[in-house]
Amino acid sequence: MAATNRFDAIVIGSGVSGGFAAKELTEKGLRVLMLDRGRMVEHGEDYPYDGKPAYDVPARNVMPKGLQERDYFIAKRGYVQPSNMGFYNNDRLNPYAFDEGSKFYWIRPGAVGGKSLIWGRWSFRWSPQDFEANQREGVDGAWPIGYDDLAPWYARVEDYIGVSGSRENLPYLPDSNFQPPMPMNVAEKWLKSQLEAKFPGRKLIHTRLSNMTEDKPDQGRTKCQFRNQCGNGCSFGAYFSTQAVTLPAARATGRLTLQSDAVVTSIEYDAAKKRVTGVRYVDAKTGQAQVVQADLVFLCASAMGSNQILLNSRAPGSERSHFDSSGTLGRYVMDHIFRVGVEGEIPGMTDLIEYGRRPGGVYIPRFRNLDGEEGVGFRRGYGYQGSARREPAAPVGFGAAMKHGMRRYGPWKFSMGAFGECLPYKDNRVSLHPSKVDRFGVPLMRFDVTFRENELRLIADARVQGEAMLRAAGLQNVKSSEGDHVPGDAIHEMGGARMGADPRTSVLGSFSQAHDAPNLYVTDGAQMASASCVNPSLTFMALTMRAADHAVKQLRA
Amino acid sequence: MRIDRRAALTGVLALFGTSVFAPLARAAQMTAAQLIPDGPPSVAVFSPAQRALMTALSERVIPTTDTPGAIAAGVPDFIEKLLADWASPTDRVPILAGLDALEARSQQDHKVAADKATPEQQDALLTLAMNGGFPGGKTFFEAFRQLVITGYYTSEIGITQEREYLPVPGEYNGAFPYAQVNKVYSA
Repeated sequence: MAATNRFDAIVIGSGVSGGFAAKELTEKGLRVLMLDRGRMVEHGEDYPYDGKPAYDVPARNVMPKGLQERDYFIAKRGYVQPSNMGFYNNDRLNPYAFDEGSKFYWIRPGAVGGKSLIWGRWSFRWSPQDFEANQREGVDGAWPIGYDDLAPWYARVEDYIGVSGSRENLPYLPDSNFQPPMPMNVAEKWLKSQLEAKFPGRKLIHTRLSNMTEDKPDQGRTKCQFRNQCGNGCSFGAYFSTQAVTLPAARATGRLTLQSDAVVTSIEYDAAKKRVTGVRYVDAKTGQAQVVQADLVFLCASAMGSNQILLNSRAPGSERSHFDSSGTLGRYVMDHIFRVGVEGEIPGMTDLIEYGRRPGGVYIPRFRNLDGEEGVGFRRGYGYQGSARREPAAPVGFGAAMKHGMRRYGPWKFSMGAFGECLPYKDNRVSLHPSKVDRFGVPLMRFDVTFRENELRLIADARVQGEAMLRAAGLQNVKSSEGDHVPGDAIHEMGGARMGADPRTSVLGSFSQAHDAPNLYVTDGAQMASASCVNPSLTFMALTMRAADHAVKQLRA
Repeated sequence: MRIDRRAALTGVLALFGTSVFAPLARAAQMTAAQLIPDGPPSVAVFSPAQRALMTALSERVIPTTDTPGAIAAGVPDFIEKLLADWASPTDRVPILAGLDALEARSQQDHKVAADKATPEQQDALLTLAMNGGFPGGKTFFEAFRQLVITGYYTSEIGITQEREYLPVPGEYNGAFPYAQVNKVYSA
């Protein structure tokens, strides 16, 4: 470790992965610089609309059309509202590129904390099958690790952040170390019994959510208050965010320096030693570029953000990244396919309503191809996220009759959306634009990612099965809908710098470290060699914690 | 932190110059309150007569009953602000056309300016629009009713008086008797 460096490690990005990297590395004694390209957001004090009803939010919390089309035309796919837009990327100022026919929604945050402030918070362990499927099916991209390698790290992450859920003992959806689950409502309980009776082997279970159901006083965090305004920032710290959980822990060590508005453009590399030496970044407020050095770099800039930085780290005049000796960098990009919705009315129980606004809902775990291929016309599977709710009665006519009619509730309605696995394809790739650069001088990301036959067949099956299940369960007026399937839309983008045992066919090794530079770790979604069909953030956190442990052991070896 | 002078020179300062960079940097820092200014509408959407009629009709859509109506909830101001600054300019078209058509119809049927017509006459005009009794009537009615409903149920009166608002519920009960509240909880 060079004695002259002010920092032992640099963490690029401060989302679920970056925040965990900073926490782990500082707690292990390292002096860490964490850089984030977004604006500073402090826990609590920078949540201006936390707890505010619509009349206290600009434009009653509906995005003005002009502003949305000018500055948030991609973010609008990612649930941006006036109350949370301070956490989102400005799409006008930060362009990217795709060719006709390869539309990609790159939905990005714009603040410290990354997507941890605005994520959906559904938290699942991946199953042993998720890690084994590529190899078993002969799909390009065997994982060098398995579930057992990650299980202890999952447990540590869960114990620290707090995940609510129910123990189900499902081999294809391993239980976490749970806090008690959020309750199902009366309509969901009814649906669970109906559905599980009609479809043996299929389950409807409690959501698994990073919203806590028990306090963590040692972290100054209070359990979920059922406001369901999570995306505005939660001063209770009830759900996992960098601000509420990992940033305070890292700061408490006295060894963290956090710099916002720091846009990392590339990673510095010593080709002779095959090691990274630091990072180059631009101060977004002044335009000043600078290099800061460290003997360890954790790249956690989001799956596609990390790909961009890796691709842009290259010798002068060279088109190939320092970290692309395999030729696979930027390839095998994935996202979940998910624009299928199914809904129906649940009869009865009309004297009962919900008290409190519960985040999350219920989950129907994957049931397709659990023991290999079942001859259903596609590989892998999908799960459904849903909930039962009662909306206020729709307006009829106008006047006093309409007004008083809207004091009633409509029927219980259950709606759910499918999330399907996407296979890794070599030619689903991202690259640097050959001529266009952004305001920081970085070539634009260019996306060439499309869903293929397997994904489209899978999601078509999800629609058919979803309708069949709700009808058989006894729901009325069952309807389904399908939207455009645009990669990136699920905000579960993964891959591009996949993990693998062979340096000739993968970018990262089994501890998330670059084959071409063992002191560079990439621990966000970029490292994923497959996509599962469950939400990936918990897995990113566990992989980050595991990588940090490995990195510090290497430093001290 | 070691500043790399060479990098600074070849970085974006050289590419863009500070005069371009600073406004972009400031734009990236803007908050919702700065990007979505409050205050009066930036343009007058309605003529005085149209505004008077729009105000009167909003109250007919959501009248004062045992709770305040649209005017008390500030719905007319919301509608003009929304159409001026938050909606697409094309969203004004059916509203303005509908108001003018209702005005003409009131003169014809009731020999009175529509905003001065009796509540019963105004209800008859709205019913006419709702039933498509003149070209563009249904389009106007649906769009206008939606504006009034949105404005009302996102107002303080709508959220806290007409409906019940729980700032911090603190718990969740998925089988709560409606009879204990007899109204709808605000989202």
